[in-house]
Amino acid sequence: MAEKNDTILLDRAADELPPVQGVNRRDFLKLAGFTFGGALLAGCQPAKVEKAIPFLIQPEELTPGVATWYATTCAGCSAGCGVLAKNRDGRPIKLEGNPDHPISKGGLCAIGQATLLGLYDSQRLMSPLANGKAATWDEVDRRVAEQLDRIKKNGGAVRFLTGTVTSPTTEALIRRFLGMFKDGKHIQYDALSASAILDAHEKTHGVRVLPQYRFDRADVLVSFDADFLGTWISPVEFTAGYCEKRSLQGQPPSFSYHAQIESRVSLTGSNADERICRSPVEINIMITQLAKAIAAKAGITTAGTPTDSTVSRLAEKLWSARRRSLVLSGINGLAIQIAVNFINHLLDNYGTTIEIERPSHQKQGNDRELKALLDELKSGSVAAIFIHGCNPVYDLPDGQNLADWLKKTPMVVSLTDRLDETAEVSTMVCAEPHALETWSDAEPVTGVLTIMQPLIQPFGSTRPFTESLAAWMGEKLSAHELLQKEWERTHFKRQTEKRSFKDFWGDAVKQGFATVQSKPLSSRPFNLDAAWNALRESTGIASTELALVLYPTMTMHDGRHAHNPWLHELPDPVTKIVWDNYASLSRKTAEALQLEEGDVVRIEAEGKSLDVPVHIQPGQDDKTVAVALGYGRKGTDRFTNIGPQWLEAKPTVAAGSCVGTNAAPMLAWNNSMLTYDISNVRLTRTGQTHPFASTQDHHSLHVPPHLAPVDGKRRPIIQETTFAAYAADPSSGSFEKAEVVSLWGDPHKYHGYHWGIVIDLTACTGCSACVVSCQAENNIPIVGKDEVSRSRELTWIRVDRYYDESDGTFSVAHQPMMCHHCDNAPCETVCPVLATVHSEEGLNQQVYNRCVGTRYCSNNCPYKVRRFNWFQYEHGDERQRLVLNPDITVRDRGVMEKCTFCVQRIQEAKIAAKRDGVPLKDGDIQPACAQSCPAKAIVFGDMNDPNSELVKRIKDPRHYRVLEELGIRPSVGYLTLVRNREGEGA
Amino acid sequence: MAHVACSPLRKQLILGNKSYADVTHDVADLLDQKPSALWYVGMFISVAMLALGVWATTYQLMTGIGTWGLNNTVGWAFDITNFVFWIGIGHAGTLISAILFLFKQKWRTSVNRSAEAMTIFAVICAGLFPIIHMGRPWLAFWVIPYPNLRGPLWVNFRSPLVWDMFAISTYFIISLTFWYVGLIPDLATLRDRTTSKIKKAFYSFFSLGWNGSNRTWSRYETVYMLLAGLATPLVVSVHTIVSWDFATSVIPGWHTTIFPPYFVAGAVFSGFAMVLTLMLIARKVMKLEEYITLHHIESMCKIIIATAGMVGLAYITEFFVALYSGNEFERFTFINRALGPYAWAYWTMVTCNLVVPQFFWSKKIRQNLTAVFVLVALINVGMWFERFVIIVTSLSRDYLPSSWAHYSPTCIEVATLIGSFGLFFTLFLLFVRYLPVISIGEVKGVLKYGRVATSPTETIHTPVRKEVAV
Repeated sequence: MAEKNDTILLDRAADELPPVQGVNRRDFLKLAGFTFGGALLAGCQPAKVEKAIPFLIQPEELTPGVATWYATTCAGCSAGCGVLAKNRDGRPIKLEGNPDHPISKGGLCAIGQATLLGLYDSQRLMSPLANGKAATWDEVDRRVAEQLDRIKKNGGAVRFLTGTVTSPTTEALIRRFLGMFKDGKHIQYDALSASAILDAHEKTHGVRVLPQYRFDRADVLVSFDADFLGTWISPVEFTAGYCEKRSLQGQPPSFSYHAQIESRVSLTGSNADERICRSPVEINIMITQLAKAIAAKAGITTAGTPTDSTVSRLAEKLWSARRRSLVLSGINGLAIQIAVNFINHLLDNYGTTIEIERPSHQKQGNDRELKALLDELKSGSVAAIFIHGCNPVYDLPDGQNLADWLKKTPMVVSLTDRLDETAEVSTMVCAEPHALETWSDAEPVTGVLTIMQPLIQPFGSTRPFTESLAAWMGEKLSAHELLQKEWERTHFKRQTEKRSFKDFWGDAVKQGFATVQSKPLSSRPFNLDAAWNALRESTGIASTELALVLYPTMTMHDGRHAHNPWLHELPDPVTKIVWDNYASLSRKTAEALQLEEGDVVRIEAEGKSLDVPVHIQPGQDDKTVAVALGYGRKGTDRFTNIGPQWLEAKPTVAAGSCVGTNAAPMLAWNNSMLTYDISNVRLTRTGQTHPFASTQDHHSLHVPPHLAPVDGKRRPIIQETTFAAYAADPSSGSFEKAEVVSLWGDPHKYHGYHWGIVIDLTACTGCSACVVSCQAENNIPIVGKDEVSRSRELTWIRVDRYYDESDGTFSVAHQPMMCHHCDNAPCETVCPVLATVHSEEGLNQQVYNRCVGTRYCSNNCPYKVRRFNWFQYEHGDERQRLVLNPDITVRDRGVMEKCTFCVQRIQEAKIAAKRDGVPLKDGDIQPACAQSCPAKAIVFGDMNDPNSELVKRIKDPRHYRVLEELGIRPSVGYLTLVRNREGEGA
Repeated sequence: MAHVACSPLRKQLILGNKSYADVTHDVADLLDQKPSALWYVGMFISVAMLALGVWATTYQLMTGIGTWGLNNTVGWAFDITNFVFWIGIGHAGTLISAILFLFKQKWRTSVNRSAEAMTIFAVICAGLFPIIHMGRPWLAFWVIPYPNLRGPLWVNFRSPLVWDMFAISTYFIISLTFWYVGLIPDLATLRDRTTSKIKKAFYSFFSLGWNGSNRTWSRYETVYMLLAGLATPLVVSVHTIVSWDFATSVIPGWHTTIFPPYFVAGAVFSGFAMVLTLMLIARKVMKLEEYITLHHIESMCKIIIATAGMVGLAYITEFFVALYSGNEFERFTFINRALGPYAWAYWTMVTCNLVVPQFFWSKKIRQNLTAVFVLVALINVGMWFERFVIIVTSLSRDYLPSSWAHYSPTCIEVATLIGSFGLFFTLFLLFVRYLPVISIGEVKGVLKYGRVATSPTETIHTPVRKEVAV
């Protein structure tokens, strides 16, 4: 093209010349110059022209570069937390907790944060499948309609198998849909079942409901293996309530008491005031004993005091806190849950800490119905089954059999967003959009309606569940219309505040939720006799055999998040292991079995077996082996090559295998209840080993004895005290304040703002939501298992976990750790090129462009919070890169990075305040970690503002700064960890 | 001074009753002959090692610094260990050529040329590591303060790495100049001897028109003296500054005031061990036994005993201060060095640097060249481990136990270390092949030391070079 142009130009130039003269020297030079210039200009063109089309007609509310926020609902689990989604240029880039939301109150857990990445997963289904082949929606609809017509004519069982459906619209649709058939049934189940709680309430109260637990009203809390801060039912909601009772506000300060009885170390157990370690069988016995002890106190029985002194102590504490106590159990056993109800009833907790009149819908699974369905499928009596929001082939104990039974079933329709284990054996797979691409709703707790709204044009040709259902009923309505219709029909009437539906709907969409009235559920009076009779009979026999405990993790849940690399790389809050599940054993048991960390063992029980590597876990019961559910999902070998590939790099997942091992086949049925504790298991060594990657080893704050010939003092990193000591002296447990004499004087003056953070260690549960939040906000790449095992994780904030076994008991402390933005920052002085400098607002700034990568700053950082780009880390494929925050530079290899206190948010808020001509208010700026903290443990603010919440906390006698004695003057402080324990303050 | 030279009470510095012509022949003929088979073997091995290092470094530069075993906690390990090790090696050369010159230690003349060459090659090896250890080595020039168009960007004069840059570049320039100035008379000798036109042109250019006149000698000696005076403080300053990389930090095990003298003593200690290693090989391969005599070797062994004592004192002082300080982090770091996961490295260091040199108290061992060779090789190992222990044990176990991490090198790092030895030996072998290993002019000045005068006139006519200019 360029050449052609040049010839034309040349010809023209030649034409203009007087022909007789020919070309003289000057003209020749002119022409030569012109040609050369032309060629050069033509050469400057980029090889490929990419079209960037600006908005000719700009959408009304969209300004390029300015984020818009939409309220929606998290679909990471069935808890129904409120979410604010940050939308930039038509794509959501960050999810945050909705502070006004009545359930989550501004918190959002790690899973919630990470669901955003799932939106940009290129392995999601993009079109429906029929018999495993890509099909059109018309074809799928036609075939479904044919089969349904046949069933309508000839009869036959139509079954709907779903996870817990919290959406009233969806539920109504399913009901209507099944109404078309003579034999239609909707079965709900939860892979992490709470069915026994509902069944127990059916037995004791006559209604099959999950009550609402009000942690914010419980002064004494006894939890039998319910990991309510981590994985149980609604962790964010529970964490908020739990922390409210432990805020140490008020005069005199009050503080709840929390005892956790468990066999493995859960996140909740690691926060308990008293953690009682028992095997599953012993826990069962203990619940019965506690029930009897409470019964004795209530005068039902005159039996003597229980033999177990712990039980009598707990009973004493509970009894003295009637109506203000709460007993919970996460065990899915009917007898146990009845006993728990019995205890709570005698303690008068129903109506205060347990609300049954306005029940929760967060778990509605019914194990008995599920078992019945499995039997039906086995016998081949089901004509059509629709599966949505669950993955039974993967997460049920009979998964492999179920796959065969489903293959026998005439029509299996999977409505799912990816080709999971169940979809693979389905005749029809209806591709569903991601929760951030569609309209839906939820009523997680009676009276709280939440809205899910789309934030992006859906990728691919997917169809929301409600639309599919409507289509099969012959209604061509969009999810939006279906939702609005249902709301107008049902929920609009449940409130009186808004006159017009338009107002009601508009407000609900804007806020993300609506609160409506509901008739209090009437339950039967407590069936005391039945419960007591059942209890009196039950006697457990303590077993000396090993028991297997199958538990969910805070990241994988029931396995539905196994395709989310952010969650795989989030360290387990207790073990700090990433990218794996494992069999946790106590040190004693491991030694007895001659097993070491990483040895692969075969766990055998009831003819089933499972090969998993061993992890030695302090604080674990000696008779228990614990394995996490949710791993070993098919297709997770996609992560084999995640992370840098180089000479000595090891794959994240061994080729041809999965991330972790699926433990679900080990689950058992017990009285038609899914059982997560399997007794009498045998462990044998396979001889293989499997390396783990963890972000933190077991180093404690105590110097190991063999390295402490001089003194074995505890390192002054975490201040701890007991509540009793705190009540007597709020500064109890404080470290000796070292007098810091500095030759430097005051190198920096802060005339305007001086940013700082205070973290309340009493509130922090270690849930690690902040870690994922930071990862999403700051474009932190995933580095893969091998890099983590080389201690090169890239997260800017980490939660340090310290075990303390010094006085024979086991306890855990969590401490979030990010850049401390020291006033006398050691990193700043040593950088040869001034790549890390101090701002006049006290921020320690890292200038990526200037960094040459000597790593001296990181070596000299006493907190070791600086992170280095050892390689050019990938940010995933083209679609996954859409999640990147455009406000944040993506760092190249060879540069240092670290927490910035979310400087982009500080700047944004400052600019907004300046534009509006108003001063910046305290709380206007919330770094990503602080925003989503379910416990509100992290407070950010201006240290120069005497009225700020931050300064209030700095003045708290509990306030201290880690390694202050070095004279580096960190801007991050902590509040002493207070626990309601016996004994002196540490 | 002639009477000194001929005093029978003195030990002979050069054996074999050489005449001046013999000296010229012995040294210069080496350059005219074909190299020995041993030289070729040595060269082959060295170049192979160098090639391995070049491959490893290229791979690292292409892929990223992650190909080293470093991590978030241990940001330096082999890289800076090698750097400090090589810088330390260089110190013996400067000490021999400058300080011993000023102290009028005549025995230095046989070894100073090669020791200085060693300094230069060691500094080259050392200088490579701070550059390649950077995440973005192509921007290494940013640590140099020079007027630029990048706004107010300037270096951070508070950073010891900037001081390092100055210290090392100064050291390199002074060492090179000193070495070159010392070479001028010998280059002139070679110029006058050679028959090859190319060599002649080369030597003519670099001998700067040397004519051997009284004036040239006088000027030369003045300059040499001045340069020796300039180089002397560098012996102390360079390693002092290198030690500040650690001493000015806040990391327990690094943050200690004893480092400057400790590092200087260690540097001289390791340098002499390396000089001995090279000399023992060179005198054998190049047949220079009459020039580099047992006396030289013994003298150097004695310096090693002295510096080992200083290093040992530093180890003990450092440990004592840590325990006595009451600083729990500091205490832990030192106990952890001795008993923690890197205890093997610590005890290797202690054995090689404190126990091994004690064998040199025995004259028998000092005169047994095989024993000396083995012992100095062990000292080289020990001194490498000293730096490794200081850097890695301190970093891997600092303040917050949550961040403690283990470091182990990757194959790339080991290959880079091997490559640096390859570079060092390749350069040294090229040096012995193309430049006079022994300072002909200076050796001639001490030729008659300890020799009995054969005729009364000899003392008068001996053209002893004045070592001290007034």
